[in-house]
Amino acid sequence: MNRFVEYQIKLFCWISGIVLISAIGIILAFLFHKGISSLNFSLIFGETRPLDGLLLRNEVFDGLFPAIVGTLLLIFTSIFWAIPIGVASGIYLAEYCNIKWKPLFNLMLDVLAGIPSILVGLFGFAVSVFLHKHLSEHIYPCFLISSLALACLVLPYIIRTTEQSLVNLPFFVKTTGLALGASRLQNILFILIPYNLSRIISGIILAIGRCAEDTAVIMLTGVVAMAGIPNSLLSQYEALPFYIFYISSDYNSQEELMNGFGACIILLSICVFLLTLSHILKRKAAIRFATHT
Amino acid sequence: MPLIHRKFTPMKNIKIRINDLNFFYKKRPVLKGLKGVVEEKAITTIIGPSGVGKTTFLMIINRLYESIPGCRVEGKVEIELNDKYIDIHKLPVTTLRKKVGMVFQVPNPLPMSIFKNIAFPLRLSGIKDRKYINDKVRGALKDAFLWDEVKDRLNDSALELSGGQQQRLCIARAMIMEPEVLLFDEPTSSLDMEAALKITRLLKTLKQRCTLVIVSHYADLTRRISDHVLTLKEGVLSTTANPQIIEKLDQ
Repeated sequence: MNRFVEYQIKLFCWISGIVLISAIGIILAFLFHKGISSLNFSLIFGETRPLDGLLLRNEVFDGLFPAIVGTLLLIFTSIFWAIPIGVASGIYLAEYCNIKWKPLFNLMLDVLAGIPSILVGLFGFAVSVFLHKHLSEHIYPCFLISSLALACLVLPYIIRTTEQSLVNLPFFVKTTGLALGASRLQNILFILIPYNLSRIISGIILAIGRCAEDTAVIMLTGVVAMAGIPNSLLSQYEALPFYIFYISSDYNSQEELMNGFGACIILLSICVFLLTLSHILKRKAAIRFATHT
Repeated sequence: MPLIHRKFTPMKNIKIRINDLNFFYKKRPVLKGLKGVVEEKAITTIIGPSGVGKTTFLMIINRLYESIPGCRVEGKVEIELNDKYIDIHKLPVTTLRKKVGMVFQVPNPLPMSIFKNIAFPLRLSGIKDRKYINDKVRGALKDAFLWDEVKDRLNDSALELSGGQQQRLCIARAMIMEPEVLLFDEPTSSLDMEAALKITRLLKTLKQRCTLVIVSHYADLTRRISDHVLTLKEGVLSTTANPQIIEKLDQ
């Protein structure tokens, strides 16, 4: 190839990288510039004493604490539903699925991955209405339905990463256990999953990010502005992304808007914290089950 | 087509009988009308040009081909167990693979400690007796001439061993279930000369305990330790005893 063209392409790659990094940098700088002044204990705990709020001795009314707890609970519950189903489907696709059916499953999975989150939310809402009508009058859009809907939203990430990591394993790794007399299930449990743990965790990391930020799903399935910390799976709850959404769409004073920016910083910190945690786990898994060449 | 082999020693008992074996990969025939026998407690080496289906042949014997989608086998492969010839496709696959062990071209220790690697097949069989496991592991390592090299570091990762040691570890791991047949897919081709010689010596001692079937490119190794040589060519095990082939490979 022409030297000039090669140089141009290299330049373009450089510029793309720099644009990306600076875009993130600008967003972060903007957030901190706007929100840092409102970041203090009263933003989180309102007029309740922080310790009382943390220990659930007093309810926090005008702070973000219930929203933070709601978001964390939501992430963990959704992931809790999504991991077993996602990993099991991934294993099914990679190990058990009939060749004839595989294209159909793959297509379905792509469709699931492509469904806009607002549609998932709408579906969750429809389910709750259905249950309210036909099962029990006490069922409203609630935490349980939100978490299940979010789990649906993030399932494709987990399924795909699990499936791909299993499919791409070298043949001799896949057959090591089998050749020693392992049944298919033993092979999956003792060899394939441990080998792939770090790659499966990558899928879970993606899912965590998505669960933390998604607003459309929860907006239709049970999140409200004022609910306090949810006391059961069937109660309504607060969440940070929703708080940010409604504050920014209808704020009464400049101060409230600043609080919204504060909430953004908190949400971002939660994400960074969880992602760092899962990266550490992934690192550990990768070292423990390092693939050999 | 019949298969005869170059005999170095007269044949006593037959361990594996192969009759009209056809193998298809995605409708393409790979092995055609294979016929032949493998002698008990002897070393049978299979040679032939690459891509002819030597490894496939091994993978049929322990039915590992079943984990590759698109494979189909016709014909009969029988293995002698307790003085009876049993069709391998009528045995439960896990039982068969415990009776017919396999060692691969590239050493494939599992990413765990040396001890756990060797004990892995026992764990698969649900054996929990600590003392029994310890004794078996020690025995298997001694059989594979590996005990002296690793006895002080059984809890280290098996991945830290050298290539040759890893391969002997894999042999020890395959031996721990006391298989009746051991299949080797070019066991020395990824190793240096010295390590390969050690493995060769080890194989010679193993034949007192079980039947060995070795796929090999190495004419040298082949000739030194084989009791029988089968030639696989164009999907057919060759009909004539053909010493020239070995001479050719030597050059």
